[in-house]
Amino acid sequence: MRMPAEMREEVEMSLLLEAILARYHYDFRGYSIASLKRRLKQAAERFDSGTFLNLRDRLLMEPAIFPQLLDYLTVQVSEMFRDPPFFRALREEVLPHLKTYPSLKVWIAGCSSGEELYSMAILFREEGLESRTIFYATDIHSGALHKAEAGIYSIERLAQFSKNYQDAGGKASLSDYFTAAYGNAVFDKTLRRQTVFSDHSLVSDSVFAEVHLVCCRNVLIYFDKELQNRAVGLFKDALVRRGFLALGAKEGLHLSCHKQNFAEISHGKRIYQKRG
Amino acid sequence: MPVNALPKTVQSRTWSSLSLLASVLVLVAFFIITAWAAFLNTRTVRDAAHKVDESRGLVSEMEDVLSLLKDAETGQRGYVITGDEKYLAPYDDALPQIEKRLPDIEQRVASDDEERARMDTIQVLVKSKLDELARTIALRRTQGFEAARAEVATDRGMSTMDQIRSQFAELEQDQRKIVAVRFDEAQVAFESAVRSGVTSAAVGIVLTVIAGWLLQLAARARLKRDWLRTGQTKLTERLIGDQTVDEVAGQALQCLCQYLDAKVGTFFVADGESFRRAGAFAVPSDARLPARIASGDGLLGQAAKLGRALLVKDVPEGYLAIGSSLGQDRPRHLLISPAMADNAVTAVIEFGFFEPVTAAAVELLDECAEAVGIAIASALSRQRIVELLEETQRQSEELQTQGEELRVSNEELEEQARALQESQARLEQQQVEMEQVNLQLTERTELLQNQRNDLAETKTTLERQAAALDQASRYKSDFLANMSHELRTPLNSSLILAQLLAENRGGNLTAEQIRYATTIKSAGNDLLALINDVLDLSKIEAGRMDVRPQKVFLARLMTSLTQQFDPVAATRSLALRIHALENAPASIETDPQRLEQILRNLLSNALKFTEQGTVELEISEAGIGRIAFAVRDTGIGIDESQQRIVFEPFCQADGTTNRRYGGTGLGLSISRELARLLGGEITLQSRAGAGSVFTLLLPETLQGVVPRAPAPMAALPAPEPRPRGPQREAPQAVADDRDNIDGARKVILVVEDDPNFAEVLASLGREQKFKCLVTATAQEALSLARQYMPSGILLDVNLPDASGLAVLERLKNEPATRHIPVHVISASDYAEKALELGALGYLLKPVAKERLIAALQELEGRMSQRLKRVLVVEDNAVQRDALCGLLASREVEVIGAKSAADCLEHLEKSTFDCMVLDLSLPDASGFVLLDQLSSSDRYAFPPVIIYTGRELTTDEEQRLRRHSQAIIIKGAKSPERLLDEVALFLHQVVADLPREHQEMIAKARSREAALDGKRVLLAEDDVRNVFALTSLLEPYGLNIEIARNGKEVLDALEQARNANTRIDLVLMDIMMPEMDGLTAIRRIRQDAHWKRLPIIALTAKAMPNDQQECLEAGANDYLSKPLNVEKLLSLVRVWMPR
Repeated sequence: MRMPAEMREEVEMSLLLEAILARYHYDFRGYSIASLKRRLKQAAERFDSGTFLNLRDRLLMEPAIFPQLLDYLTVQVSEMFRDPPFFRALREEVLPHLKTYPSLKVWIAGCSSGEELYSMAILFREEGLESRTIFYATDIHSGALHKAEAGIYSIERLAQFSKNYQDAGGKASLSDYFTAAYGNAVFDKTLRRQTVFSDHSLVSDSVFAEVHLVCCRNVLIYFDKELQNRAVGLFKDALVRRGFLALGAKEGLHLSCHKQNFAEISHGKRIYQKRG
Repeated sequence: MPVNALPKTVQSRTWSSLSLLASVLVLVAFFIITAWAAFLNTRTVRDAAHKVDESRGLVSEMEDVLSLLKDAETGQRGYVITGDEKYLAPYDDALPQIEKRLPDIEQRVASDDEERARMDTIQVLVKSKLDELARTIALRRTQGFEAARAEVATDRGMSTMDQIRSQFAELEQDQRKIVAVRFDEAQVAFESAVRSGVTSAAVGIVLTVIAGWLLQLAARARLKRDWLRTGQTKLTERLIGDQTVDEVAGQALQCLCQYLDAKVGTFFVADGESFRRAGAFAVPSDARLPARIASGDGLLGQAAKLGRALLVKDVPEGYLAIGSSLGQDRPRHLLISPAMADNAVTAVIEFGFFEPVTAAAVELLDECAEAVGIAIASALSRQRIVELLEETQRQSEELQTQGEELRVSNEELEEQARALQESQARLEQQQVEMEQVNLQLTERTELLQNQRNDLAETKTTLERQAAALDQASRYKSDFLANMSHELRTPLNSSLILAQLLAENRGGNLTAEQIRYATTIKSAGNDLLALINDVLDLSKIEAGRMDVRPQKVFLARLMTSLTQQFDPVAATRSLALRIHALENAPASIETDPQRLEQILRNLLSNALKFTEQGTVELEISEAGIGRIAFAVRDTGIGIDESQQRIVFEPFCQADGTTNRRYGGTGLGLSISRELARLLGGEITLQSRAGAGSVFTLLLPETLQGVVPRAPAPMAALPAPEPRPRGPQREAPQAVADDRDNIDGARKVILVVEDDPNFAEVLASLGREQKFKCLVTATAQEALSLARQYMPSGILLDVNLPDASGLAVLERLKNEPATRHIPVHVISASDYAEKALELGALGYLLKPVAKERLIAALQELEGRMSQRLKRVLVVEDNAVQRDALCGLLASREVEVIGAKSAADCLEHLEKSTFDCMVLDLSLPDASGFVLLDQLSSSDRYAFPPVIIYTGRELTTDEEQRLRRHSQAIIIKGAKSPERLLDEVALFLHQVVADLPREHQEMIAKARSREAALDGKRVLLAEDDVRNVFALTSLLEPYGLNIEIARNGKEVLDALEQARNANTRIDLVLMDIMMPEMDGLTAIRRIRQDAHWKRLPIIALTAKAMPNDQQECLEAGANDYLSKPLNVEKLLSLVRVWMPR
């Protein structure tokens, strides 16, 4: 038997989420409860709202604070070439397959502030695929999308990025791709020449193009099982036959209802190939 | 109801096989012994006979020797007497014989000492006899007869002879004795042989019978064992694999019930302390089975507790009835069996039987119990593992999310720390400044305080004034309301009096005076009207106007209005038309008085401001639940700038108008207010000098606030296809095989309205081993085709309800039916059209039987699979051979071509299912080759897979897409993909329509006039989508222009404007590189030239605000991806300018 207070909190949370959906058309109802609750609590604290119901009332009255709340609701954190063995596997095992297509599309779902996108763009450029590839970088957070489009990162993070890049089998130096000034580094504009930045929700929106590679890392962990299945279903529908799906280190398809549609290649790297 | 707890069955297998072995061993031993005895007896008899033979031989030998001696003696005597040498012949003959035989005899008797002694004596005697003979002969020869006679006369020879004889006689006597003894021995042996033969026969029969019985027992045991083993095997097969507990339960139950011929069964699985029902077999849905049974509860629980099977015989009434649709019965015997794993009961199965339960069934269950138990236990543990796995996954995800969140907070903290440091420095500096500012501020605050006080005062004054104003206005309205009433009372009487005067009842008034009276009346009327208007307006303004909704019949309203205004119109020689459109309702619910007041006002205005022409009131439906009353006139009209103020009270369109036409100018204001009260509005369309249309829009039912219905849009339904030709009655149906389609034979569908010919076709079909479906109507033909998916269709063109060609078209347009080959048979010649639509062949009536059979065979041939053929066009011989080797298989024949010319030659000669094409060929590029293939009818054009070593530009790719199924760039992984694509393609070929047919359909498909020749700009970056949409839209006669991003859209529009060509409609994808769709739409709308260009946005987003965004950006409509073809087509139809 749970504590009534806890139950009340959950009811309040679901009311808050319903309100967000009705007012701002963002659907967080399928997100993993524990994490969402923690983040909402932080937000409630930040907005001096105390309870979720107060936070809800405030949100309904003041549309201006919603973007800030969105920062809490979506965890925007990543680094370039995060998990270098993954990028190495991508380079060695996936790209040779992709090279057989005359034109390519890559969907980076939940691109956050763009670290993954630039990593991917650099990888594709080095493998000579960039010119025939269109990248779709999507996220529900328009603020993050703007950051991604700008491609500016604090110079302090670049050391780690460079190390990852080298570990991932980079062919040059990461510094070839950015210019550093005033404590920041801005990435080469031409890297995003082939990129479409777009607001897209894995919760409510549908497939928009046929793609050859879907990269969705550390996004599904925030979803509950049903929503994970929906998202993977979208990826399945978007992928061409024999297309590739790349997930985060702690995400896997072995419990997904779509697992029979995918085969894991490169064991342990969470890279899957859609079956024919 | 006897209940027996059954013991565990004993393992009888070893016993039965041992007894079988023992019986065989006994049998074998017996036969060995009898054979040995028989052998011994036979040997005894044979020995005896042998010895008898021996004795007899000896005796005859002796007799021979004796007679030889006699011969010798005779010879001797003859010679002695005669001296003639010839008498010596017997003697000479006998001598060697005797010498030869004697040793023989001696040898034969060698075994017996006594006889050997006797034999020695005989030999001595014979020798002396022979000596004597020889001596006498010699004497005769040398000394003559007398000497010899004297010698003979000594009688020595005779006595010797006698001795020999007696010796022989004795010897013979001995031998006879021996023979007699041997005979006796043989007799005994024979008797014993007979005895032992009879005995062994009897014993053998007995033993064989016993062995036979044992063998049968063993066979029966083996049959039972086989049955048990088959049952176990079947069960084990069913239990294999990763199945859930319920699946295992279902499978086990079903398998066992079927195998044991149980009529009903249930399966309970251990779930904690109790048992949960996990499966039921043949249990009627209305049966009330317990979902859970506690251990020890009832028979089932008891069986579970005991861990032993229970057999229940002669079940009483009240047990669950087993039923089919035909009847019901109850099981007579029950068998309840627990399934164990690791000494724990994991499941209990109950079976119900009509017949008594056999021991074998019990045994089978007993043997299966463990398998089922283990299967259940492992399914349970599997389930547990999956749950644990999910839990672990969840936890690991949770950990990851926490990690991510920590990273975020960490970054934030660092950020904040930095910010803090900076702000601290700034703060210190600011503090100094602040202190200074503070002083200044204090001063200013005082100043502001004063100002604020002033402001507050002013505000209070203003509020007071506003309230006063409000009150004054209300006083005014009240006053006006009262005042006009006060005015009306006296005016009323003066009007009546003026009327009376004008009637001149006394006949004492001059014409002049009557005219005055009339003028007074008319002026009074005007005044009254003015007062009424003012009154109404003030009433409305004061909120005192009541509305009483009731049913208003439009016909009555129209009659009343006609009666009122016909005379006025007649006097002004204007035509007045008051009518309702068909879609208008018969009655509405509103306040009739107010409605009539508005209409009267509008009509009288119209009549007033119209010098010549017509005034018209048209009543029509205006969207759902709304009705429009449009008053049209051909009068002076209202200038656009004036249109707004005509509704304002106290100000008229033109100051002079009033004077010219009379009236207060309040009418429209009042009408507008009344319309509002009735929940509607009045709109105006007019131009100066060109008449006006005032439209009163009202809800059909007045009740509270009625929400505005959306503007009528996108509601146009797609036009229904027109029926072709006059409808004829469907003729009598011909009997067909639709009730006994069995799957073993192929089915053809005969569509023919002449019953006789249909009968002929059906019987021909049956002759060709088809099942035939026959119908006479197009409608049924389509439904039968969909329902039965026949392997072929024979189709007539002239059908009673539609043309057969329409049927053909529908069949070929439906993905599900388009692969069915159709042969058309008709009395009129539509061959070209039919073939264009995708028919396999065409026959003109009357048709020879052979041709019909040939047609049926062609259908059959099309149905059966054939070898797939792939053409590989590649100039490099090594590569070509490698590709051929890669692709060839038992079902696939691969042919190589080394050049474009070679390829064309192959394609001209024969057909291929698929072609793999390298783009760089020695004599022509692949592009040229493809163009050539697509533009010429000489070559069969198979689906193409491009296999090239070079990278392609987007334009090239797009060009290739039109003619090819897949494009593969050569590389490390390309052979893999090529094989994959070809295999996939060949697999699809069967179900897919040949490409040339697709194109035929595309050409033949009815070009809708609305779309034919229109230009659509398709903005979409996905080549595959472009291809799909193009091939969808082009058959409708649309010209498609393609842009890959927003910039290209703008360029294309710019070009179209410069070249003075049209773009009729834009399909705009939202997510595109370089410039997205929304930006592009906004930019298009900024240009006045493209203000009215229909734009349909294609978006993957689903939330209402996303779509709103599209519309706000300027799109006319939107369509959500994935695109629904029907919806897209109807949207294109709706928005396409006419």
